[in-house]
Amino acid sequence: MARYTRRQFLKSSSAAAVFAATPGLAYSQVVGGGGPFSDYRALVCLFMFGGNDSFNMLVPRSPAEYAAYLASRQNLAIAQEDLLPISPTMGAEDMSFGLHPAMADVKDLFDTGKAAFVANVGPLVEPTTREQYFNKSVALPPQLFSHNDQQDQWHSLKGINVSKTGWAGRMADLIRTGVTGQEMATNASLFGSNLFQSADETIAYVMGPTGPVQFQGFSSDPDGGLFYEQQQAFRRILDAQYGSIYERGFAEIQRRAIDSADRVYTALENASTFEGIFPLITENPTQLENQLRTVAQLIEVRDELQMKRQVFFVAYGGFDTHDDQVDLQPGLLGDVSKALGEFQAALASIGMENQVTTFTQSDFGRTLTSNGDGSDHAWGGHQLVLGGAVAGNNVFGNYPVPEIGGPEDVGGGRFIPSTSADQYAATLARWFGIDEVDLGLVAPNLSNFATRDLGFMIG
Amino acid sequence: MRYIKLLSMMVPLLVTMTGCGGGGSDPVSPPPPPVAITKAEAFQFLNQTSFGATEAEAQRVINMRYEAWIDDQLRQPASLQLPHLQSLAFPEVMPFELQADRVDIWFRNALHGDDQLRQRVAFALSEIFVVSHIGSSLNNQPWSLGSYYDLLAQQAFGNFRDLIEAVTLHPAMGVYLSMLGNEKPNPALNIRPDENYARELMQLFSIGLVELNIDGSVRTDGQGLPIPTYDQSIIEGFAHVFTGWNYADAPSFPEARPTYFNQVKPMQLYGDFHDTGAKQLLNGTVLPAGQTGEQDLAAALDNIFEHDNVGPFIAIRLIQRLTTSNPSPGYVERVARVFNNNGAGVRGDLAAVVRAILMDAEARPALHMDIDGKIKEPLLRLTQLWRAYDAQSASGRYPLLASFIFFGQGPLQSPSVFNFFSPFYAPPGEIRDSSLVAPELGIATEYQNTLVTNYFFYQTFALNHTAETLEEDDVFIDFQQEIDAAGDIDALIDLVAGKLLGGEISDTLRTEISGMLERVPDANPVIRAAETIYLVATSPEFAYQR
Repeated sequence: MARYTRRQFLKSSSAAAVFAATPGLAYSQVVGGGGPFSDYRALVCLFMFGGNDSFNMLVPRSPAEYAAYLASRQNLAIAQEDLLPISPTMGAEDMSFGLHPAMADVKDLFDTGKAAFVANVGPLVEPTTREQYFNKSVALPPQLFSHNDQQDQWHSLKGINVSKTGWAGRMADLIRTGVTGQEMATNASLFGSNLFQSADETIAYVMGPTGPVQFQGFSSDPDGGLFYEQQQAFRRILDAQYGSIYERGFAEIQRRAIDSADRVYTALENASTFEGIFPLITENPTQLENQLRTVAQLIEVRDELQMKRQVFFVAYGGFDTHDDQVDLQPGLLGDVSKALGEFQAALASIGMENQVTTFTQSDFGRTLTSNGDGSDHAWGGHQLVLGGAVAGNNVFGNYPVPEIGGPEDVGGGRFIPSTSADQYAATLARWFGIDEVDLGLVAPNLSNFATRDLGFMIG
Repeated sequence: MRYIKLLSMMVPLLVTMTGCGGGGSDPVSPPPPPVAITKAEAFQFLNQTSFGATEAEAQRVINMRYEAWIDDQLRQPASLQLPHLQSLAFPEVMPFELQADRVDIWFRNALHGDDQLRQRVAFALSEIFVVSHIGSSLNNQPWSLGSYYDLLAQQAFGNFRDLIEAVTLHPAMGVYLSMLGNEKPNPALNIRPDENYARELMQLFSIGLVELNIDGSVRTDGQGLPIPTYDQSIIEGFAHVFTGWNYADAPSFPEARPTYFNQVKPMQLYGDFHDTGAKQLLNGTVLPAGQTGEQDLAAALDNIFEHDNVGPFIAIRLIQRLTTSNPSPGYVERVARVFNNNGAGVRGDLAAVVRAILMDAEARPALHMDIDGKIKEPLLRLTQLWRAYDAQSASGRYPLLASFIFFGQGPLQSPSVFNFFSPFYAPPGEIRDSSLVAPELGIATEYQNTLVTNYFFYQTFALNHTAETLEEDDVFIDFQQEIDAAGDIDALIDLVAGKLLGGEISDTLRTEISGMLERVPDANPVIRAAETIYLVATSPEFAYQR
């Protein structure tokens, strides 16, 4: 009985669901903000699972800071002469930077103003100093340094609260009245279900790395004979009344699969192969290349599916480099750089560079200190933002001097973020079309920080 | 959830009391004969305790009753993988070629092993103590993975303390979570011990992140916030404990490399690389300086084993793998108490824990509630179908290496140490809104469900005993009985429902199958048989484990 009442309550007020998921927010703020949209915009989240050692992705090159970096990282350090130099027009004062030698494509994008970094960003509840961290005088995200908990932080921005929704899911809920004609969900994942896109009112659509697959032996065409009958019978079986909450949950997913697969699959048949930009299937593309090619194809056929706003989730794994980091990192970052270069080229080929912004997230940064041949879980790290609407060729935020025992280090070279993931997300959400008044619903801890917009989006 | 489960516990009690009529029973009258186990109940039990109920095994359960069936299973020795893998020729190209054979022997044991309960519990343990060949150099160590799986099967009914020691020292785990080769600090080079295994042993294998009451509920502090079980200093303490271990039989620590022989032997301590300082452990325990690596390891594993969280933590995870996604606090507590004391004063007796999970009233409910049970893991839906229809290949093999692609999971094929799905996963909608979870639905995405459904389509329509173009490794099912019965639609449906659903089929499913079978051109018996099995095997009621 108690459960029934709660469900009735949730159904009776869609806004209440958003409210319930983000405690501390004023009910009156929930107004379905954003849209209707006449233009098209998409965000692409590239999640690097395992915790990218981004202090080796973006490295200081100026002598004093590089010396600090080398002293800290020892056998994990990249030689100064191997770094790919970049010259940000804006960045941390008195510091010059280089990229990991495997990231030539990202360097090109950076140099041409289509990519920027946000330095030392991570989950925070409120601005935090080393002293406050140790005397426990500020609220901290629970379970720091744990993979799944910090992934959840990036996905949900929940801070110290419990959250069943992610910030992309909440964005989709907020704009749902502005995108009513869309034939596909605002949120699409090419890497499984995830908290980032989980929402109260809208459901993310999960496809494979090369798009949806169709059901064998089914046809959604009424002239399709036995195959049509088969699909209809299968659908009616799913629609039956089931006595178990698990059967109902399973049937619901099957229903969505049937209802979406044909439409999206058919639309994708009209998309480019992007041959000459992405490697062919026969040329052993990485899973990230497959995912990003599919995203480019879906963006290309956006009008056919009446899409106005989309958030894509793609991911690449293997970044938990406790072991063999020096051997593994070039491959990981090289794969990311190559796939991102190809993706931007694909977007340019269909004239969509300015409408699509790609950004990275990862569990956490890693310890500057070595465990012998790798690094361990830490906190703040650097993230990459790409696209025509990005204020490129810049490093935003504060890049800390990479020294052990420095003002941001809580031990072993674990750095307190100087910029919060909420600020990062809110900057992207504003560009996406979320109303200023609703940004606090997307990024619940945003009001704890003075800067609401990090300035890396100009479009 | 608490209230609903309490209600489900009380209803049978009320029925029983009413049945007694309130009168005192005669103390000398013999106990009434036990109520006969129905076929559907036997199916429910076997789907919890094996790789899929079959009619033959259901009859055994009905004859033996649950307790005796469990007793018999506890006595069965483990079906092993390593002897099979070692009997095969060394691969001509690279050892990773044997991964398909490792998957093959997993299926042989899962489908045909006499130790069904042991294999099922081992599979559950492999989803808690996760190692994987995916994204790991273990891809080139199939023998190590086979040996690791054998360890889980052999220790499935042993003591949890022995299990975590064997897991800790197995080189497959050593490689997967990088304890192997972990060395003492070198402050001059900013080198400190690797924290990977220390962290995941506590977070995922034994106690979890937050303090638990014995019923599995989270303990909170004065502000209502969960109380963490450990902090970074304790992670670092355990990381220092786990230093100095490497592949056995090497000339020295730095020269240790995997070989055919040492990848299946417990890791060895190389004392010079073990940190000998004092180490902060759980519950305020500090290991004194100057101990050997073996002493530190034994004390550290004791320290974890004695933590109050282990009972409820392991109870919840094993219950979720075997019987239900949302156990009531009472169910968790009853199992956790058995973990804490098996009745003979022994802590960590896994055989007693498994028996407690299976014989609990909540696993065998007299009245069905809609949050009882769970969704079957996709791989278990496959093995149930295969067991029911005697799946085989011409070669005798089941080399389904791509299991993790078609089904989103496969034996030791997790994408990370966090398993295929999270114990806390709640799909959006009714389940999440009710504060319930359904871990298996974490991989039941639109994409994965379509792949699974399509696999069953191929399995029934193409990979069956009537097919003329099977490759020698193609696993096909045999439904000659269904073909013989296909002239009578109701009889055909009864036959399939008997084999896959224990005889209980919903009216909707029967009606829809019947309607489709009427439309099959010329009443083709092979298509009718395939269609019936396909629609049952892909139905929500087959995906559901009661």
